[in-house]
Amino acid sequence: MRHLVGKRAFIVALFGALLLAPSVTNQYQTFVANLILLYIILSLGLNLLIGFAGQLALSNAAMYGIGAYGTGLMMAHFGFPYWAAAPCGALLAMGLGTLLALPALRLSGIYLALATLAFAQFTYWVMTHWTDVTFGAGGFVPPRIDFSPLPVNQEQGIYYLSWILALLLYVVARRAMESPVGRAFVAIRDGEVAAQSLGIDLLRYKSLAFAMSGFYAGVAGALYCGLLGFVGPESFDLLQMILHKGAVVLGGMGSVVGSVIGGTLLTVLVEITKEAKFSIEIAFGGLLVVFVLFQPSGLIVFIRKWLPGWDERLHYVPPGTAPPVQAARTAAAEGDD
Amino acid sequence: MVKPALAVRDLSVSFGGVTALQDVSADFPSGEIIGIIGPNGAGKTTLLNVICGMNPPDAGDVFLGEHRLNGMKPNRIAALGLRRTFQSSQLFAGMSVLENMMTGLHLMGSTGLFGAILRSRRMREEEREMRERALQSLDFVGFRHFADRPGSALSFGQQRIIEIARTLIFEPKVVLLDEPAVGLSVNRVAELDTLLRRIRDERGVTLIMIEHVIRLVMGVSDRVVVLNSGRKIAEGLPDEVRRDEAVIEAYLGHQAHA
Repeated sequence: MRHLVGKRAFIVALFGALLLAPSVTNQYQTFVANLILLYIILSLGLNLLIGFAGQLALSNAAMYGIGAYGTGLMMAHFGFPYWAAAPCGALLAMGLGTLLALPALRLSGIYLALATLAFAQFTYWVMTHWTDVTFGAGGFVPPRIDFSPLPVNQEQGIYYLSWILALLLYVVARRAMESPVGRAFVAIRDGEVAAQSLGIDLLRYKSLAFAMSGFYAGVAGALYCGLLGFVGPESFDLLQMILHKGAVVLGGMGSVVGSVIGGTLLTVLVEITKEAKFSIEIAFGGLLVVFVLFQPSGLIVFIRKWLPGWDERLHYVPPGTAPPVQAARTAAAEGDD
Repeated sequence: MVKPALAVRDLSVSFGGVTALQDVSADFPSGEIIGIIGPNGAGKTTLLNVICGMNPPDAGDVFLGEHRLNGMKPNRIAALGLRRTFQSSQLFAGMSVLENMMTGLHLMGSTGLFGAILRSRRMREEEREMRERALQSLDFVGFRHFADRPGSALSFGQQRIIEIARTLIFEPKVVLLDEPAVGLSVNRVAELDTLLRRIRDERGVTLIMIEHVIRLVMGVSDRVVVLNSGRKIAEGLPDEVRRDEAVIEAYLGHQAHA
């Protein structure tokens, strides 16, 4: 019975449903299902960085954009086929993402957030203004993608590619976080000085966190370029960053499977609010505030509570929920510890 | 004398004109417990921070056995076999006690990200060995039953003991303890006394301890170093130091003689 409600069963059911989705849904619904796969990848990548390694970076939308622009521009300017252009886009985002680890060695918390936000705004500015290369604010349409000899058109090809990559990147994230790498990330988040005193190299593991996160966002960007058949700067603005952060916080900081849940729910919520003509900015800004204030560990906490078979190690302790040291000291002094 | 496990030579550190350490030299003999005492602001924690690489000295040298530690990052120094604890509890709150202990063995891991992703046989074997050694280390302090608890769920005193166990897991040569007895009850201090002796005698680790609980530090230390205003004012056996004029003056002031 335990396995019926376990993590593995959930992942199998969700990805099974997503695999079958194109054959039972209309074109719009397939598009949304594909977006779900992209936001799972984005949310996984951002969670590695902010939920596990504790680096509050606001550059994920920029990395997403760099992946999309990198892919689209290689196709548009140099005639690269998609299979060659997409890795270029993903690796470019990974490379630029890794460079952001350098300020992260000196800055933390709100200062790192501001530095990475400045980087994101700069990226947006380049996308909008470097017209000769990026085609400017109006964006551009990359060439159609040919999946031959596979018997799929562009939409189907991108869908199944997204499905494979989302599942693969989920497994990578889960395995990496259940290894010494994951423990090094969490150690840096929970106490940089103590982590270093145990032999953990901050430069190495912060770079790795930024690189992995950049790669995930870059992959999602490369897929987005193929999904939309259009690349423009407005897809990668501050709202996009809020959506990524919202997916992570909604699912649960420091929970890999939480990111799958968060990415899925967020995409569905975005589509619902679009149909209901809500203002997305207000809805998601509000959602983020409510979760950060009242449920900073995300939905994964409820799921764990409701489903006793759900074996989930929680890697995130929100500030203020640990027993206050002062009280613990008093108890210890009275000898009843 | 036996070759010291750790030695500092003519260390000087100042923070924006305030002198924290001035020309401090000392040998820390292998396999001994060395207490560092002194009034508040004497430079004790600064000395520890310099030794472990968190605070580069303005002048002077630190030697760990054959290695000159100056200019090394704390993680490099940790790899050479020097570990430390802190004044406040530094267990990682998002990990279980067992994972905290396994993080102490971080440098044992050799497979990196790709080993983890592929779940290579070597990676799984290393994980199993880390787990086994973590449990053994918890046995050493009698806390195996806490293995699956979150570190933050334990009492302050228990966290301190687990932190000490986490420094031992890598089989270090030298461990620096920054006020291990702070906030502990009388009974707990007695247990800590026993534990420190066991670490010295059974594990052969050199312990360098800052401590304000005089009964503990004078009872357990083989040798005591006294700092005052950034200078070393005395060094020797606990009984010698206790009778030292300069030490009495530093702690009690001139009126004590009146």
